[in-house]
Amino acid sequence: MLLSKPKGRRLVSDSARIELPQGTLDLLILKAIALEPQHGWAISERIHQISGDVLKVQQGSLYPALHRLERRGWIKASWDVSDNNRRAKYYELTRAGRTALGEQTAAWRSLTNAVGLLLDTP
Amino acid sequence: MLADALYRLRALFRRSTVEHELDDELQFHLEHAIEKQVAAGMPRQEAVRRARLEFGGVEQVKEDCRDARGISLPETILQDLRYGLRTMRRTPVFSVTAIVTIALSIASLTTAFTLRYTMLFRPLPVERPGEIVAVRATRGRPTPEGPLSYADYVTFRNGTKTLSGLAAHYSTAPLYVSVNGTAKEVNGAVVSANYFPLLGISPALGRFFHDDEDRVPDRDRVAVLGHDFWRTWFRGSPDAVGATLKVNGVTFTVIGVAPATFVGLRPYPAQLYIPTMMLGTGYRWCTEIGGAFSPQCTILEMAGRLAPGRSVSDVTGELTMLRPEAWLHAKVGENSGIEVTRFLGATRNESVAQLVGILTAVGIVLLLVCGANLTGLLTAQGSARSHEFAIRLALGAARSRVVRQFLTESLMLAVIGGVAGVALSTGFVKALTAFFYSIDDEGHPLYFDFSLTPAIAFTAIVSAVAAACVFSAIPARRIARADSNAHPDSRTTSGRWSVGRWLLAAQAAIAVALVAVASLLTSSARGVVKGTTFESSHVALMRVRPRLMNYTPERAQQFQHDIVRRLSAVPGVESVSMVGVGAVLTAGRFVPTVELRGWSRDQRIGAGQNEIGPRYFETLRIPVLGGREFDDRDTTQSPPVAIVSESLARRLWPNGDAIGSTIVMSDTSRQVVGIVADVRIHNRDEGLFALSPSYFVYVPFWQNPMQIDSRLAIRVAGDPAAVLPALMREINRVDADVPIAETITLPMQLAGWMREGRLTAAFVGYAAGLAVLLTAIGLYGSLAFAVSRRTKEIGIRMALGAGRSSVLRLILGEGMAVALAGAVGGLVLAAAGTRLVTHWLFQSAAADVLFYAAAAFLVAVVGFVASLMPARRAAAVEPLVALRHE
Repeated sequence: MLLSKPKGRRLVSDSARIELPQGTLDLLILKAIALEPQHGWAISERIHQISGDVLKVQQGSLYPALHRLERRGWIKASWDVSDNNRRAKYYELTRAGRTALGEQTAAWRSLTNAVGLLLDTP
Repeated sequence: MLADALYRLRALFRRSTVEHELDDELQFHLEHAIEKQVAAGMPRQEAVRRARLEFGGVEQVKEDCRDARGISLPETILQDLRYGLRTMRRTPVFSVTAIVTIALSIASLTTAFTLRYTMLFRPLPVERPGEIVAVRATRGRPTPEGPLSYADYVTFRNGTKTLSGLAAHYSTAPLYVSVNGTAKEVNGAVVSANYFPLLGISPALGRFFHDDEDRVPDRDRVAVLGHDFWRTWFRGSPDAVGATLKVNGVTFTVIGVAPATFVGLRPYPAQLYIPTMMLGTGYRWCTEIGGAFSPQCTILEMAGRLAPGRSVSDVTGELTMLRPEAWLHAKVGENSGIEVTRFLGATRNESVAQLVGILTAVGIVLLLVCGANLTGLLTAQGSARSHEFAIRLALGAARSRVVRQFLTESLMLAVIGGVAGVALSTGFVKALTAFFYSIDDEGHPLYFDFSLTPAIAFTAIVSAVAAACVFSAIPARRIARADSNAHPDSRTTSGRWSVGRWLLAAQAAIAVALVAVASLLTSSARGVVKGTTFESSHVALMRVRPRLMNYTPERAQQFQHDIVRRLSAVPGVESVSMVGVGAVLTAGRFVPTVELRGWSRDQRIGAGQNEIGPRYFETLRIPVLGGREFDDRDTTQSPPVAIVSESLARRLWPNGDAIGSTIVMSDTSRQVVGIVADVRIHNRDEGLFALSPSYFVYVPFWQNPMQIDSRLAIRVAGDPAAVLPALMREINRVDADVPIAETITLPMQLAGWMREGRLTAAFVGYAAGLAVLLTAIGLYGSLAFAVSRRTKEIGIRMALGAGRSSVLRLILGEGMAVALAGAVGGLVLAAAGTRLVTHWLFQSAAADVLFYAAAAFLVAVVGFVASLMPARRAAAVEPLVALRHE
């Protein structure tokens, strides 16, 4: 349930201790802001809701990931006023980020398909 | 990638903003998390606690974000620098020692670099100096190059296409200048009108020569002042332009002042410039051979500027083709060829290149010794800090980070020491200029531009940094491999020596070698200056030149007789004599045709010759071994006589009947009336650098009817420098118009000859002192550390019955073993080092062994003293305390 990040940067899903491959969090973040810019809290909530409460991002992983993505130039940040009139840092995809999202989604799908096929054969 | 760089830059420079933003962002998230819980019905306090728990450690998150930001490297470097400063303050003794020793060795290296640059590479302070070339006439032996005549210059100037301009200059013209009652001989330059425009120099005041003013011989009496001359003699006043002054008796008008940055094309700064058409006034030695513009009057040098796209070889080729007819049939000693070189550095002397090479090598060796010394000390310090490193590693620091921080500290020490060393070198260079390069061996002022260039300073600091990398490599590696507990010197005795001990022995060896060579050089220089078969200490010298004022031989000789009589009567003067050609003690001429009657042409030998006045040998205290000195008997009316040196006498008359025999020189027969001791001033490479040949013939000054000038040697009872003004006043009383110049003492002249040897002695002496100091520090540090590490072992020894004195002897023994090993190695190095400097060694090699032994003994004593304190501390260890010591 929790995507925690102990030293060593392994992403682990809590309840069934499902191990997620490296970079999954990045992919989820990119997807979360694909439609419109979001701030950190909204991204975390969105991932949690849309995954049906299976995946919950811990802040200790989320913010470093956001900063890392910003450094790579896939997302860019700007400060704006949020719905409850507070100042918040909004992230949105850059063009490079959009390309990266497409590539990584394709890669994920092909990986999961391949694994699924292997698991389905007797 | 650009986004990455911009991001990192922003994170680095707008750090506080970025940190605030991070704070705000995390705060925002936390508040929303709390609100969510509250909205779900949880009490606020509980919601806050829950949210905080889920959030995790805020600082950790922030740290992770910072890591993700990816600007760790510059930040950590800044951190390392700050930490390094703190460490330096914590160990002040070590830090100061390290910085001081690095500074002292970098200072000497920088001084060597500066000397090298100025002597061999510094360009002229003119416009586009790379295009300026010196054009010289070459001759066969004995002198490889020579000046040329004005007519020859014009031939080249008019014919050349590869040079955009060719100027003539005579840059060592003795000009007796008289302004408003003050009269003095200064160094001047006779230059063609295109000299200043060719070099691209603009006047500081007024103007330079017009082409028109350099057309007709002796017509336009115009002069340009040197900047220094203008400041001293005219107080820097603009009225100087248009003023008149007398030069060698002729009145000139000042038309301008040269800029401060230019002092001529030779190390002798030009105080005054007159045009080549006034060459007859500037150079008085051609009056007997047809005047200044006759083909026999060769006194000019040439400087040109390369035409665009032309090279030195182009010019050489073209000018060789333009040579005057007469050069193609030149005899020995006359101009025959052309040589073109760029103006690089101050001199073209071969021995200067050698000198500079040796000094640079000494500087590098010193830096290495310093580095080796610091390796030992750093290793010891690293071991002492092993606790600190262990804690840092345990707290999670990467090993590479710890090593990097250690290296940063060493680099900081190196850079600080390097900068201090460069600053210190400017002081050394000033001292060097004052002691060695301010006047030459005849008393003429010299000027060398020894200013520091950014390139030199940069190279010096880079050398310090390179040395730092080398000398912190071993201790750094030790930390990297967590070997810090196994300090080399903590091993007990009776084993092979560690790297540290070998390094110390090597330092001691180098120290011994430097001390030995320095003492040899110093004693050699001292010996020459003091005099071996002559005594220099109470002799004053001066030069009188009636020729500059156009005196006839008769008038000049009357003058000479008068001044000798007057000077001899001055209180304190013991004897007065003179030489006619060249300087006192040297061979004024070289005569290749000395023979006896009846010899064939190929039996002839060469000898040095000079014209000397009566009482010459008495004045210089050269022993007369047989016969007599010249005196008033020997005039132009009496038969020609000669005095020979003992080596020549032995060679020509092995049976010993020199006196009364006849010697033939240049087809003149002379009767030998005396034999004197050889004036031995030649170095061990005999023949290459002899200041005075062993074969010498002296002829009487007064038997030459054409004498005009002379150089006087005056022996006084007290300090010759103090008596010089009184002597000059006496001469002025006889005739105030005659210029007196080159007023120095004989020791100063000899010191000038020995300049390079003395400079090397001083430099190597400094290096020797520093090396001895470093060896002492290194030995002391190493032993002190070893003692503190081995306290337990010592306690055990004493508990088992060893007395205090045996412990003392144990530690002393270790120290002395290193010192003695160094001494032995040093003797070998000293022998090799002596070979490199034989050029400047004038005493016999027999006593060398004594110097080596003394050097070895000195370093052994220093080693003993350095080992004593740690040894005594070891002996003072209380066994019980030591055994409890952890």
